[in-house]
Amino acid sequence: MMRALRPRVADGLGAAAPFVFALAIGAVVLFAAGFEPLSVYRLMIEEGFGGERRIAATLTASTPLLLTGLAAAIAFRSGVFNVGAEGCFYLGGLTAAVIGFSAPSWPSALVLGAGLGAAALIGGLWLLGPGLLRARLGVDEVVTTLMLNFIAVGITSWLVNGPLLARGSANSATPAIALNATLPRLLPPTTLHLGFAISLALVIAYGVWGRFTVGGFRSRLVGTNPRFARAVGIEPERVLVATMVVSGAVGGLAGAIHALGLVHRFVGGFSPGYGFTGIAIALLARNSALGVIVASILFGALSSAGASIQLFSNVPIEIVQILQGAVMVFATAKLGRLWRRAG
Amino acid sequence: MIDAFLHAAIVMTTPILLAAIGGLVNRIGGIVNIGLESMMLGGALIAVMVSAQTGSAGLAILAALVTGAVLGLLMSLVITRLSANEIIVGLGFSVATAGLVRFFLKSVYGVSGTYNPAGVAMLPPIDIPALHAAPVLGAIVSGQDALTWLAWALVPATAFALRRTRWGLRLRATGAAEATVRAVGLAPLTIRDASTVFAGALAGLAGAHLSIGVVGLFNEGISGGRGFIALAAFYFGRSSPWRTALGALLFGGFDAAQIRLQGHWIPAELLQALPYAIVIAVLTGLGLADRRAERSGRMG
Repeated sequence: MMRALRPRVADGLGAAAPFVFALAIGAVVLFAAGFEPLSVYRLMIEEGFGGERRIAATLTASTPLLLTGLAAAIAFRSGVFNVGAEGCFYLGGLTAAVIGFSAPSWPSALVLGAGLGAAALIGGLWLLGPGLLRARLGVDEVVTTLMLNFIAVGITSWLVNGPLLARGSANSATPAIALNATLPRLLPPTTLHLGFAISLALVIAYGVWGRFTVGGFRSRLVGTNPRFARAVGIEPERVLVATMVVSGAVGGLAGAIHALGLVHRFVGGFSPGYGFTGIAIALLARNSALGVIVASILFGALSSAGASIQLFSNVPIEIVQILQGAVMVFATAKLGRLWRRAG
Repeated sequence: MIDAFLHAAIVMTTPILLAAIGGLVNRIGGIVNIGLESMMLGGALIAVMVSAQTGSAGLAILAALVTGAVLGLLMSLVITRLSANEIIVGLGFSVATAGLVRFFLKSVYGVSGTYNPAGVAMLPPIDIPALHAAPVLGAIVSGQDALTWLAWALVPATAFALRRTRWGLRLRATGAAEATVRAVGLAPLTIRDASTVFAGALAGLAGAHLSIGVVGLFNEGISGGRGFIALAAFYFGRSSPWRTALGALLFGGFDAAQIRLQGHWIPAELLQALPYAIVIAVLTGLGLADRRAERSGRMG
């Protein structure tokens, strides 16, 4: 039993190492700026996890990350390096917000279904192009999906500054969504909303799909050994395109849930890089569902704690961005090499 | 009117071209540098600080170059020595550096986002009296700063170095056949690191051009995605410095046009997104051409 668990424990430690490195770098930055790193970190842990309300805030903050992490994990599992979830997030958020303020008389279930569904559809279609380009012409999907992010941000910020700008609003925001389009709160007065439950359920469904179904097995086979997959009659190209589309759909859904659950409209600068954080989450999790959940909650705690430490300790909130970036830098690094070299 | 536009187009091309040449060399050496944006940002900030402190634009440029190079080296070491994925490391560098810059501005200068110290020595424009009055040509070549001249000098220099020199050969071999490089007794990872340091240094200069060449202050949004536009430019250029320069010129022209067209004809947000769309179109075209060549090769 213990022996069977050992590799898992090692895996867990391996995934924790980037966090440790990031915290060390953050500590140096904090120290240099004249703060006490340990007390800042203690405060962050308290603000992230201390008490029901703070945990609820952390889970709210982890909601978009669960899905962008999932979008990345789905893609990476099949060997598709999709970095385009950020763009899907913007498009999905805008789509859902438009539906959310346009149909105030519809039944709630219908408008929610339409908003989430349309956002997923847009997200999926957005990445159909890169999927086909990679499968048919061998065009590097990293570049195409990265470029599409900027295009999606450009299109949505044009729409939200022009045709979709709320009347009387000076800064880029659509009108607020109607009451029937808001995802219900789970624990009022906290902001935790149904979107968290939906996201969590989807990640768990992904875990079950990946482990117990033929489709999940196939997708991993294509990722780990495309030649073998082809030899046993799987068409890697088809899996690749489908993967890209599903990954994009999840990214779009993430944006829709963020719009309908938390922001209640679409605004300029809708995402502070959730799509990119999702990439780090999937890599840290090595595409496992449990890993995605744990990493999302950690990143969620980081951002919800960051907002309150600025209030209480005048540590600039950017420490969160520094920590997040540092985790990303070390997410795939083989940190064990540092010791092997020294030893 | 047209003269002013051409002049601005060249000015806006410089940072993109500098970073793109760096990124091109880096990519030939085997690393796709997504972190150019962060090195540009770092260079831009340091240039303003040093320029305001010392009053010397030359020292400021040097400091920006070193900053970019150090950031490049750090990024490269994580990629080459710890075998981390270059894409996520580059994205992480962009996120962390943007955070670090803001953190630094707040905690050291107590400002948020913009640092505008007194006494910033700007990069002096180089006037060419003989051409100054010449139509079109005068606007293009006269009154540009040293970094613009450097950027354009680097185009033929890089083309020559890549094709005709030992270092160029070693670099190309490192990107294309790492095992071979190792087999002949060279250190491919070190060569690769050197190419990232080069890219970082040029991106740092690109940042300095923006901060002490164009605006005279630092703003957190000063790089404005130009590191990614540079990425677009060297993808547009594939492995050729000349084609990369063409891409940079095209995107620099967009940048200059964008400032002029704001609010007219095309919305600025869409115009800003255009370079990225062009890259996808170009990659698609190249993919189609490759496939056609493959097909006709098979038939022939």
